[in-house]
Amino acid sequence: MDDFTKFIHSGKLAPLKKWGTKWSLWPVHLVTACCGAELAHAFASGYDGERIGALNYGIARQTNFIIVEGAITRKMARVLRITWEQMPDPKFVIVMGACGLNGGIFWNGYNLVKPSEVVPVEFFIPGCPPTPEALLRGIRQLQKKLETGEAESSVDFYDLRLQKGKIPKMLPKSPKRISENPLIIVNRAKEVDWAFGKELCEKLKALKLESVVITAKNRIAVKVSESNLKETAIELKKLGFDHVKSVNVIDVPAENKFIVEYHISSYSNKDLMPVIVNLFTEIPRKEAKVSSLADIFPSADYMEREMHDFFGVEFKGNPWKGKFLLAPDTPEFPLRKDFKLQEEIYVGD
Amino acid sequence: MIAMFDLVMQILKSNQIEIPLIQPVVDSLIEIPVLNALVALILWRPFFAVVVMPGLLVLMIYLLYIIWFERKLTARIQWRVGPLEIARPLRGAIQALADGLRYFFQEAIVHKEAHRPYFIQLPILAFIPVLLPIAFIPAGNVVGIKTPYAIQLIVAFISLIPITIVAIGWASNSRFAFVGSVREALMYVAYEIPFIIAVISMIFLYGSGDPYVVIEKQWIPGAFLNPLAFLVFLIAMLMATSRLPFEIPEADQEIAFGPFVEYSGILFGLVMVLAYEKLYVMALLFTILFLGGWSGPQIALLGDLNAPIWLVIKTLVAISIIAIVRSMYARYRIDQALRMGFSWFLALSVLALVIGAFIGMVI
Repeated sequence: MDDFTKFIHSGKLAPLKKWGTKWSLWPVHLVTACCGAELAHAFASGYDGERIGALNYGIARQTNFIIVEGAITRKMARVLRITWEQMPDPKFVIVMGACGLNGGIFWNGYNLVKPSEVVPVEFFIPGCPPTPEALLRGIRQLQKKLETGEAESSVDFYDLRLQKGKIPKMLPKSPKRISENPLIIVNRAKEVDWAFGKELCEKLKALKLESVVITAKNRIAVKVSESNLKETAIELKKLGFDHVKSVNVIDVPAENKFIVEYHISSYSNKDLMPVIVNLFTEIPRKEAKVSSLADIFPSADYMEREMHDFFGVEFKGNPWKGKFLLAPDTPEFPLRKDFKLQEEIYVGD
Repeated sequence: MIAMFDLVMQILKSNQIEIPLIQPVVDSLIEIPVLNALVALILWRPFFAVVVMPGLLVLMIYLLYIIWFERKLTARIQWRVGPLEIARPLRGAIQALADGLRYFFQEAIVHKEAHRPYFIQLPILAFIPVLLPIAFIPAGNVVGIKTPYAIQLIVAFISLIPITIVAIGWASNSRFAFVGSVREALMYVAYEIPFIIAVISMIFLYGSGDPYVVIEKQWIPGAFLNPLAFLVFLIAMLMATSRLPFEIPEADQEIAFGPFVEYSGILFGLVMVLAYEKLYVMALLFTILFLGGWSGPQIALLGDLNAPIWLVIKTLVAISIIAIVRSMYARYRIDQALRMGFSWFLALSVLALVIGAFIGMVI
């Protein structure tokens, strides 16, 4: 079998194989980002990639070419690898766009992977996004490589000459002051003409709360202690509030606390429809535990799982454990302020 | 040994195709010892019909042509150019050859879950029902196997093809392949009954399943004698070969080429041309039943070759017109196609049967 493979690769039939492969590079659909729009443009009526024999096709098994279009996240990297492994030999990969090169606008993000670390890449096409001409040029370049066996860059860089006596451009100044420990106030009071809200506040003040503040029209911020959170939610449900719009966590490392917010509103009660109550509590950073409201408001469930992924806050009573949205190999709690990004390693002089 | 060789040559020479145009060349070649056997074999009528025209050689050329033509036509309709750079003077006509060569040299993956022997054998087995009808399709004097039941036999072999496709899906053992197989089976039931009834109506009309009688009786093309059967046959042809309005078993956007999803390399090359070959066989039958078969203006110099040439030209024109349908229409849902197949499509074929029986009594 090895002899046969060797014969196919370099025997007398090799020129035929090279010719067939050269004129029949079929890219598989693997769109991850906005470069997909440029790919569509390159194969539509203006530029028509089918001229040079490239035809977009459905599945990995019957194609021989992947165009990685844009950013590859940790989850998508697995898909890319599977697609590449499903593809029969000989197969080729082209990466288009700045994101695939070195991250682009997502540079150094916790969730980003370079495609060249996942699969062997033949050519990179820089640009954000690259033009259709650039993409077709990349395919032509791959065809040339198949024909001659040598990869070469199609870009000519011109030499920069140092000019004496020219004043260097002024760089933009850095921001004047960066606060070491910014003050985060969730319930800043504001005077508004809102009679119904004041009425509602009076009702709420009867409960065991730390403070009730009107922050804007139709917005009320309610601060409770962690132990009272669940009871307050039950009381709010009795008032007519029936769902959680969002669950939010704010990390305040300077004061060593997390602020956990529940934005609660109503669909069933017409008067309460425009009202959003921000029910929030403060918990210590070390023992980040808060009781879950998922059994009272079912819509809070998924958002609590997400916050658990990002901040490591444990919601007591929510049965979910482990990663929900993030890929299994993502570093822990990426949205905490003290999260350290992986540093880029540069090799060179 | 020599006596045996002489006997074979005698049999071959007794049934030679006569073409006045190349007769001098044949006469000079037949004197050369070894070459004469080859020339006599090629010009032996059954061999010529099955292997050269309208058989395998024309089938290969047709495959190259139809794939290129479909891609080019679709491209033109979408305001694109289509395959071009591979051979500019030919307008990219050898694009299908490049794709075929690429498939030929590519790795053929057999995945772990597949039923290995069937997965590899079935694409090759599927060629038996596709290629056998060609032996029974006559073109004038050029005929492989001469039988008065040729049309019935062709229909019987065509009906066997979907079974191999369902088996291919089963051997693949993948969810998309399974869905595709089930769809193929459902579509098979939907088109096969109207298709067979349409053919029976034409057999009633002509009074025989013998292609020679069929051609003889067509004083005007059969399409005008029984337009309903013509329509039913045309739609059944689109459904049977998974052309685009009924591309339901192979819908590549939904179920990723259905039964053929797991095939790669040369095996996919084999299964991909199945539908095209089926289309060729069905279009040959279509030409014989509805378009006057091999009848046409005769050129004396070509002799016996007139009939196959006319048959192939008419078939290719019919197929090219069907290719336009593919590039223009969107796909039906499976329930729409089935409802159509079981309701008015079936009713239309029964009506065609009545008309066929009536006209058959008159003429």
